[in-house]
Amino acid sequence: MLEIQNVTKVFGGILALTGVSLKVGEGSFVGLIGPNGSGKTTLFNVVSGAFPPSKGNVIFNGQAISGMPPNHICRQGIARTFQIPQPIKSLTVAENVMLGTIFGSQQIGTACGLDRAREEALQWLDFVGLKLDPESYPDRMTAGDLRKLEMARAIATRPKVLLADEVLSGLNRDELKDASGILQKARDELGLTIIWVEHVMHVLMKLVERVVVLNYGMLIADGDPASVSKDERVIEAYLGRH
Amino acid sequence: MVEQIIMALLNGILLGGVLALLAFGLNLIFGVVKIIHMAYGQFVMLGFYFIYFFYTAWHIPLLLSMAMGIVAMGLIGILVQLVIINPLLKAPRLNQLLALASLIIVVENLAQVIWGADYRGIPLTMPIIQFGEIFIRSSFLIAFIGAILTLGLLYLFLNRTYLGLGIRAVAQDLEMAKGVGINPNVIYYLTQATGGALTGLVAAFFIPIYTVHPHFGASFTLMAFVIVVFGGMGNLLGGFASAFIIGIATSVTAVLSSKEIADILALVLFIGMMMIRPQGLFGTES
Ligand SMILES: Nc1ncnc2c1ncn2[C@@H]1O[C@H](COP(=O)(O)OP(=O)(O)OP(=O)(O)O)[C@@H](O)[C@H]1O
Ligand SMILES: [Mg+2]
Repeated sequence: MLEIQNVTKVFGGILALTGVSLKVGEGSFVGLIGPNGSGKTTLFNVVSGAFPPSKGNVIFNGQAISGMPPNHICRQGIARTFQIPQPIKSLTVAENVMLGTIFGSQQIGTACGLDRAREEALQWLDFVGLKLDPESYPDRMTAGDLRKLEMARAIATRPKVLLADEVLSGLNRDELKDASGILQKARDELGLTIIWVEHVMHVLMKLVERVVVLNYGMLIADGDPASVSKDERVIEAYLGRH
Repeated sequence: MVEQIIMALLNGILLGGVLALLAFGLNLIFGVVKIIHMAYGQFVMLGFYFIYFFYTAWHIPLLLSMAMGIVAMGLIGILVQLVIINPLLKAPRLNQLLALASLIIVVENLAQVIWGADYRGIPLTMPIIQFGEIFIRSSFLIAFIGAILTLGLLYLFLNRTYLGLGIRAVAQDLEMAKGVGINPNVIYYLTQATGGALTGLVAAFFIPIYTVHPHFGASFTLMAFVIVVFGGMGNLLGGFASAFIIGIATSVTAVLSSKEIADILALVLFIGMMMIRPQGLFGTES
């Protein structure tokens, strides 16, 4: 359903992605790993339309989406969470999620009734298990709650594909379980296709069914978790840095 | 003397309401589109001429002329986005400022060519309200009530509608807003239309109070700018509060000394704020 074809991204003189190709089938749960600066977030940025690829294409449901503005891509059904969670501080927790329910859907404005959008947003807050007062402002939230809000907002756009960027970083052990559980639940209950960038390897490896590895912007391994974790080049990519 | 000061105080509050409306528009455009609309006061002048023109040349009833002036200014707001801002969205800040500043020259000279340099106005006699020794012009009162009602509606619009939610999202975090499916262009046009319509509305409130000439707008651009910076750029509440502070301070000073000293005071307050709290009264440090 999502096909990344030979995508290259150059920033000034830096090759952030070099000829990356990747096919992701509907309903799959894919882990995307790689050392710092290997191009994982850049790949998400290209797929979600934050910037166009320098070369190559992204095909979603048979349609080329590379070069489309991010708001279009979001409404086609690709949502993302940001590596650094960024709630809008002047909007309440519920309103932050409502942005997703209102603007992410195909027919903007059919949810004119803000009340309906709010109801739906409350359901998503419940889905991710965020127990904060929905009418409070997101200025003093714990790292775990921030991640939950971030995921609720992304899922509220009713995507088919979810690009999750490091939803576990900075979380304590209980929060790790919660946050990874949300992804699992989104896949199982909502049928989302998920690509998940993560550094917390022991959690990722247990949940995903396929792991793709980037190093210096190149795709160096692609397979099930067990075989990828034994792959020579993957081990070298990680050890070579540490 | 005491009555005079009380009257000046009242006038300052009443005028503050209209200035708050102007500051709101300037703030909204700055907050959402991230540009400083250098010709905002000149747009009030243009709106004034439009209403004057609809009323005197086309003989359209005054209230309808005012409504048409508001719509026309809303359309001009959209035009500004389309013709000036969009091509410069990614340009350096300075280029945007210069383009908008040159809009002042364009608008003022256009007015001069079309309507000439004469003072023009629509003569209206509006009753004066009297409480003992204190007199209030009803035109001021109407403008004030209208401005406050409009600000209330705008508040509801921003807080209780989905487009308002979208505007606030774009104002705070463009990347994230796009990421949840908001089309920023729609929001930009909507903001410019609102900002433009507000200048038309302020012009309508000014019809019974002032006469217009091609350089009528300059002082309002300055006033709106002073208020917005004083209250904290992009901060709607700050703009509201400082509109009244500046309105009252200048109006009282004008009675105690002269209009010129009042204008100087506004700028002194402004410069003082810049030196003590550069982020403005309600601004947060960044
Ligand atoms: N907007 C940008 N402008 C310039 N260079 C960029 C930009 N975004 C990323 N880069 C560069 O591209 C390379 C890949 O960065 P990217 O953020 O994709 O890495 P990452 O795999 O997500 O790393 P991390 O695990 O630390 O999040 C880095 O060298 C980075 O400095
Ligand atoms: Mg990253």
